[in-house]
Parts: sequence; structure tokens; C-alpha cells
Amino acid sequence: MKKPGAGRMVQGLQIVGAVLFFGIPLFGVGPYWLGVLNQVGLYAVLALSLNIILGHAGMFHMGHAAFFAVGAYSTAILNTVCGWSILGALPAAGLAAGLFALLVAAPIIHLRGDYLLMVTIGIVEIVRIALVNDIFGLTGGANGIVGIARPVIFGLRITRPHQFFYLIWAFVALTMLLFHWLENSRFGRALNFIREDPVAAEGVGVNSSRYKLMAFCIGAVWAGFTGALYASQMRTISPGSFNFWESVVLFMIVILGGSGNQKGVLLGAFLVMGLPELFRGLLDRFPGLQDARLLFFGAALVLMMIFRPQGLLPPKGRRYRLPPEVAR
Amino acid sequence: MIILSLKNLTRSFGGLVAVAGVSFDVERGEVVGLIGPNGAGKTTVFNLITGAVRPDDGHIFFNGHSLERLKPHRIVYLGLARTFQTIRLFPKLSVLENVLAGSHCRMKSSFVSSLLRLPAQRREEKTALIEALRELEFVGLADMWPNEAGSLSYGDQRRLEIARALATEPKLIVLDEPAGGMNDQETFELRGLIARIRARDITIILIEHDMSFVMKVCDRLLVMENGALIAQGRPEEIQKNPKVIEAYLGVDD
Repeated sequence: MKKPGAGRMVQGLQIVGAVLFFGIPLFGVGPYWLGVLNQVGLYAVLALSLNIILGHAGMFHMGHAAFFAVGAYSTAILNTVCGWSILGALPAAGLAAGLFALLVAAPIIHLRGDYLLMVTIGIVEIVRIALVNDIFGLTGGANGIVGIARPVIFGLRITRPHQFFYLIWAFVALTMLLFHWLENSRFGRALNFIREDPVAAEGVGVNSSRYKLMAFCIGAVWAGFTGALYASQMRTISPGSFNFWESVVLFMIVILGGSGNQKGVLLGAFLVMGLPELFRGLLDRFPGLQDARLLFFGAALVLMMIFRPQGLLPPKGRRYRLPPEVAR
Repeated sequence: MIILSLKNLTRSFGGLVAVAGVSFDVERGEVVGLIGPNGAGKTTVFNLITGAVRPDDGHIFFNGHSLERLKPHRIVYLGLARTFQTIRLFPKLSVLENVLAGSHCRMKSSFVSSLLRLPAQRREEKTALIEALRELEFVGLADMWPNEAGSLSYGDQRRLEIARALATEPKLIVLDEPAGGMNDQETFELRGLIARIRARDITIILIEHDMSFVMKVCDRLLVMENGALIAQGRPEEIQKNPKVIEAYLGVDD
């Protein structure tokens, strides 16, 4: 048993850590590292949204980049063709990704484990190839779409890395708060029942196919939102940014960090997206080892899966505070 | 009043006819025992009633609804709950959450109110907690609420499954071998629990191999052999029925 004070101290440290983190741009961190952190933030949101599908509902979904792509391209098209602002296009991007998920997931939602995995890999490939082939003459083919506008919030045009840092990480924080609430509701519980035993879940009144589909859609909506942020940050998007490898990376972040645990997923995003950049700095001093960067990384992953397959921070389970009238 | 009615229910798996034209009625408030040798088709009848398996032919009427095309969760929603022969709890989740699984279908909070933690959602969550604890109290597991369900003893897991089924607010509950794996003391307590479930105006159908238990608990018995219903009646009648004795003990050549 931990002392009751210990939990509070950990919580306090986490708050201090979060405040310090949001102060990073003030400590003179250069644009390169801010760019790295922004990338970590975008992948964190994507992984948090994948966590709903993979971590909570237990569905092996390796095509999350497809929904990210739909969001980014929707934003780019609405902005460059229709002249919508980025913030105006953002909800539409989420909606488009969600509808796309509904369309492609409905026929496959009953598939289990490895079968679902294969089909979702197919989805991400179909999307990428459709984009390369300039589908509907809107996606610009292999070159993608250029000249996407910057987001404007209350008259402030977001252009510089530290501005994006605050935009992206505020979105990470908002996502974590909302998803925390969602996880600790009948919705989150229903997903866990389905993950633990779909037959028993259905047998006690949980509409498993509906909840699985909803998990897919909410994950996709969030990936769509993230796509909008990404498009406006990069200003240029092309199919290469939404390939199978991106889906694998997201899958890896969730599994490595601890599927079903937000803090684990966040940690996973830092490790998978941030650590290779740190290695890059270190290995630059040893020419010849630069190419081994990903090798070290892969080895670390293999060791992880052998010694801690449940992820770095496995989920702890919900805490319930009993109402005083029944407390015991 | 008849609460459940099976009409000529038939289901085969490959070449094996597991249930062959079974018909029976269950009155509201009854405790009915479904007995028979292993492989007689009892669990298949339960799986048909609860929607886990679809019938090839025949009809199931429950409380004015036709069940044979419905998915299991719809049937639960209509007021027909079950437990499983091989315990199917959510072993890694807490005892309390297992009961909340049953409460799920009576809760109404939408996705959006959960995402935004609206006041109505919080109120409902609190009520559900209280109700879930009440069900745990009812089966005698209230003190175990924060434990992992998988850590409970076998008998306690059986009772937790009953609490989870009760949390769905059923009108009829089907128990598949509720005394399976229980010791004498637990079986004795189970009889009391079944009496208290019945006192809540919940009709009960159960499969059980422990004959002294079945004889004491049930108002009426249905006997199956080779997928067909071979006898039904009060326990003392069934005990004397030559067909039943033959089914259980075989017959002299």
C-alpha cells in the first residue's frame, strides 16, 4: 500500500512538470527543438485517438494515418479551393475523417485481431494511392497541395514554432482532458468490456458492434482534427506523409507506452518521436554511427517487448469514489 | 401469465441436431429447472433463448416480443439476463465494474455527455454506483467491490455473475449451472439467494446437475435428452418418471 500522501505528491509533480513544459519556449529553446516537440505533440494526439480504438476497445487498427490524411487533405482543399479559414475547416476535417471511418469501418468492424489488422493496412494503402492518383482532380497527385494558409486565432496569425507549440500542446491537453472523461464513463467502460470478452459484453447488454464503430469514428474525428493542424503547420502536404509507416509508428507509440493509459501513450510519443532526434545529436559526434540511429531504436523496442510487453506504463484501472451514503 | 414461450425450437450444428423441436412455456414467477444428461442440448436451449445462437426453425416469445432474430444485447434490454456455464466475467476489471457492465444497458448518457462530463452524466454515474453496490450487497460481495474479479474464489465469481445479470434489471434470468464448482456451504447459500431473487418478482430458469439442489429449488422441471424434451412436471413427479430414470441410468437389456 502506498501512503495516501504519495499519490498527491505524484499528482503535484505532474502539475509542476506540465507547467514547466508549457514554459519551454520561454527558456530559449531553439526552433529546431521546438519543431521536434511540435511533432511529438501531433503524434501524441494521433496516438491518444488511436488509443481509444487500440487501447480501450482492443481493435488492432494499423491504418490510423488514413484518417489523419483525410483530415489534412480536407483542410487543404477547403482552404486552397474554397477559401475557408483553417479554424473553419478544422471541424469539417474532423467530420470528414469521421464519416470516412464510418464508411470503411462498418463492413469490417466484426473482424477480429489479425484479420482487422490486415484490412486496416489495406485502407491506409488505398487512401495513399488514391491521393497519388489525384482522385477527383483535387489532391494534386504525388506533389500534393501547396500554399495552405496559417491558422488565425483571435486575429493572431500562428506562424512561428513557439506559437505552434502552444497551439498544438493546448490541443494535446484538451484532448487528454476530454478523453479522460470519456474513458471514465459508460462509454469507456463499454469499450473495455468488449476488449476483455466480446461475448460476455454482448451477453450483459452492451451493443458491441455499435460501440466498436463509435470508437473507430471518434478516433478518426480526432485524427482529422490533427490533420488540419498538421496541414496548416506544414503549408504543403503530400501523400508521402500519410503512408503505412506512419500508421506503424502510431501503433508502436500506443503499445510501447502502455495501451489504455494516456500517460503511457504520451510517454510513448516522446520516446518514439523524440528519442531518435536526441540520438541524432549524440551520434553526430561519432561519424559512421549515424546510420545506426534507427538500429539502436529498433533494438530498444525489441528489448521492451521482451521484458515489458504490457508497455512502459500499463493502465491502472479506473478509480471510483463511492458516494458518502454507501461508502464502506 | 406466460412470460416465455418456446415453439418447436430447432438447431443443428453440422450433422448434429442439438435441439430438435423443443416447445415449453414458463409462467411468470416460476423457478424452472432444465435438466438432462451431458450433451442433451440444455445449454444450446439457453444460447437460443439469449440470442447467442440463432435457431434454424421455431419461435421464441418473451413478454410479448419475438426473440429469434434479435441480437443478445437487445434481448438483455428487453429484460432477459443470463449467466454463463463457464464463468465469463471480465477478470481484469474490478468487481464493481463487472456489475456496472450489467447497469450499462439501463444507463442513458450519450457519447457527447460522457465526453464533456455534463451534470446529467455525473448524476447518472453516481446513481449507477449506488445501484451496483446494492446488487453486490444483495449477493453478499459488497466488501469485495474494488478487487479484481479474477481474484475471487470460484463460488464468489458465480455470485458476481448473478449480480451482474441482476444489474440489467431482468424480468427473467437464466442461470447455467449456478452451483457448478461450489462447495456444500456455498450451494446452501445459493438456495437462499435464488429465493431472494424470486422474491423480487424475477422468473428463473436454471440448468443444474446437482439433483438434490434442483429438487429443492425448482417448482417445475423440464427434462431433455438428445435434443428433445422427454418429460416435464413437478420435481416429485419427475423423480418417479420411468423415461427420466431411463435417460439418467440407462435401461436393462
